Amino acid sequence: MQLSMTVKKSFNDFTLSTGFSVSGDRVGIFGVSGSGKSTLVSMLAGLVSPENGEIVLDGNCLYSSVKQINLPPEQRRIAMVFQQHSLFPHLSVRNNLLYGFKRCPLEYRTIDFAALVEVLKLAGLLDRSVTNLSGGEKQRVALGRAILANPRLLLMDEPLSALDDSLRFQIIPYLKSVSERFGIPYLFISHSLLEMRLLTDTVLVFEKGSMMEQSTSEQLARSRMGQTPVGYINLLNLRCPSPAAGLFAYPWGATRLLLSVGSDRDESMAELSSKDIILFKQHPEAISARNLLQCSVRSLFSSGRKIGVELDCAGNTLIAEVVQDAVDELAITPGSTIYAAVKASAFRMLPGT
Amino acid sequence: MKSVSRIFVYFFCLMILASPALAAEVNLSVAASLKEAINELSDSFARKQPGVKFVKNYGASGALTKQIENGAPSDIFISANPEWMEYLKNRKMVDTSSIGNFTYNTLVFAGAPGKASSMQDLTRLEKVAIGSPKSVPAGEYAIEAFRKAGLDRQLEKKLVMARDVRECLMYAERGEVDGAFVYKTDALLAKQARILFTVPQELYPRVTYPMALTAAGARNRYATAFFAFLHGDEAKAVLTKYGFAVR
Amino acid sequence: MIPLSSTDYDAIRLSLQVAVAATLLSLPLGFAVAYLVTFVRFRGKVVLEVLINLPLTLPPVVVGYFLLLLLGKHGWLGSLLSDAGIRIIFTLKAAVIASAVVGFPLLVRSLRIGMESIDPQLINASRTLGARWYDTLLTVILPLSLPGLIAGSSLMFARSLGEFGATIIVAGNIPGVTQTIPLAIYEYAGSPTSENMALSLCLVSVVISVVVLFLHENMAKKLVRRD
Repeated sequence: MQLSMTVKKSFNDFTLSTGFSVSGDRVGIFGVSGSGKSTLVSMLAGLVSPENGEIVLDGNCLYSSVKQINLPPEQRRIAMVFQQHSLFPHLSVRNNLLYGFKRCPLEYRTIDFAALVEVLKLAGLLDRSVTNLSGGEKQRVALGRAILANPRLLLMDEPLSALDDSLRFQIIPYLKSVSERFGIPYLFISHSLLEMRLLTDTVLVFEKGSMMEQSTSEQLARSRMGQTPVGYINLLNLRCPSPAAGLFAYPWGATRLLLSVGSDRDESMAELSSKDIILFKQHPEAISARNLLQCSVRSLFSSGRKIGVELDCAGNTLIAEVVQDAVDELAITPGSTIYAAVKASAFRMLPGT
Repeated sequence: MKSVSRIFVYFFCLMILASPALAAEVNLSVAASLKEAINELSDSFARKQPGVKFVKNYGASGALTKQIENGAPSDIFISANPEWMEYLKNRKMVDTSSIGNFTYNTLVFAGAPGKASSMQDLTRLEKVAIGSPKSVPAGEYAIEAFRKAGLDRQLEKKLVMARDVRECLMYAERGEVDGAFVYKTDALLAKQARILFTVPQELYPRVTYPMALTAAGARNRYATAFFAFLHGDEAKAVLTKYGFAVR
Repeated sequence: MIPLSSTDYDAIRLSLQVAVAATLLSLPLGFAVAYLVTFVRFRGKVVLEVLINLPLTLPPVVVGYFLLLLLGKHGWLGSLLSDAGIRIIFTLKAAVIASAVVGFPLLVRSLRIGMESIDPQLINASRTLGARWYDTLLTVILPLSLPGLIAGSSLMFARSLGEFGATIIVAGNIPGVTQTIPLAIYEYAGSPTSENMALSLCLVSVVISVVVLFLHENMAKKLVRRD
């Protein structure tokens, strides 16, 4: 997917004015509410017209004030998933799903209905009325509806924000698998950095109506580390827990981690804040923290007033956060060996996983 | 508070001064077809008898009867049909001794020239206006004429019901109907409609206008004076002028 | 209670005919106008809104008189129709037109309220899924404005049953042809001897209105339950 957008539109209290070019299949737009992300996406879909500018997607011009082109939404083949599911209340689940499909020109009807239903686990719901579904089910149907229309680009405007935490992280795997399985690139809008990291590769950061920076979600998380109270969230894919003296033991690379919370699921994702990792220059003989890892320093980066330390622990990566003084005191340099201590209680399971 | 009582006094005085005027009011309930004639006669009387004020109510005799029955103020009642006079007489709302025949009229068919020239021609027409027979005597007479002439079935769906004879004429003048059954006196006042034929008298009873003083009217000296005036020669002359028959 | 005469049955039949015809006739135009006013932005929309609501605020006889000027034999439109051999005044067509004009603002108003309650995001969703404006109109807006449609139709139907002022001017009081229930009752009420017959017809009028309102409430409830 290749998108370039240069648009301008003024409103009562602010002006949206931006120009950028991005390529990739999993792009994110990140910013707080009011930064103009929703308007930008509406313009891309054709629901709102800019004052002037140009929008080109995969070589097709969707809008150009100079050339007087403004394709209506129904001709752009860009589907949207909204924050509020916006399912048609007078149609069943099946008919909602097929709404866009039926309006696709024949040559584009390549998405297999049964396969989609299977991936999104909607089989039992097909003939139900959409008003009787739970929030998560509704969003899955909304996603399915958008995908079945076989769009060139899927726009998702804060689709998870209205869901509660456990639901949110349950849906994320669906989003990824569906897009991968059917080959549909997406543009994911959110104010949650975590969602960005889980779903996107390239991120455009928006603030006050214009694009501030373009980077990867990983880079963004690192650069924000020093500015947020939660620090950098290490995301760990863990599986096959086994009980160990009241704690949960998860194999991790060449070693194992002990967590005070566990999941009865086979596969889970855990969070560990960079602030909760304590570094030792030398191996402390005895320590209360149940996790003591020997790591080597890969690199250092600064973020705000803090320094991020990228550690290689038994093949996995961890980011720890320290102050400059600590770096000097412990002589932390790339290549040096360092010990990282983490309490079992510092880990948190991602809700719903 | 002084100003309030002053207003009261002014009002009271006005009322007292006005009462003689109220006493000189004469309420007339008259069949619509007599409008012009009665207007002229009441104006003439008012010139001779200053201070008299006429309140005139013209309409379909049935509607007028109903109003009087329901207590509408009325001193003199002139109906286009003896039936309504009987009705009020039975309910003791008129002064029986004063009942008499005021004048007579004939039923004609008026419309645009060339539309029809006899009763039989009516069946060829599209729409014909008559006063609603439930309350307009002219309409009743027209229906009777149809029945006697054997045309009532054929004319069934062609009849447009009007509120009174004047409305009939209005429909005819406007061209919304091909013609209307009105009194000769009404047709004479029409601007565009012409009398196409006179309905043969054998087909309907003679149009008689009974006139009477109501119970209230008999006590009103101005009303009784006007009542007498209506029986005089001047009245007969005016009626004849408008096309009414006086015998 | 005096039994109904054949002209009374005629009046009832005519009233129902006029009410049904006026409602059905107005539905397509009413829907189109409501759609225009709710979803389309254009200059001079206020003028259209005022025109639509005008019959609601004018006395029905005034509406009737304007219709007469328009459709009468010498009227602006009427003269053209007369040349083509079509006659409107003093026929049932005129009664239908009178009821349709007088009831139109009620229909549009109900439809508007129904349409305005549709979540605009649904319309956006429909468009991004490939539906053109008329497709969206038929598959999303129409089904979702059904409650408003039903409410408006029953309101209009009920109003037509009671229409008098405009009807008597343009359709006239022709028993068996244009004499609807209100006109028949008016005729009875003008005559001192026929009052009882008016009462019977009034009762029929009330019964019909009650049935219509009952059906309307029921249907409205069914629609709400479905949601």
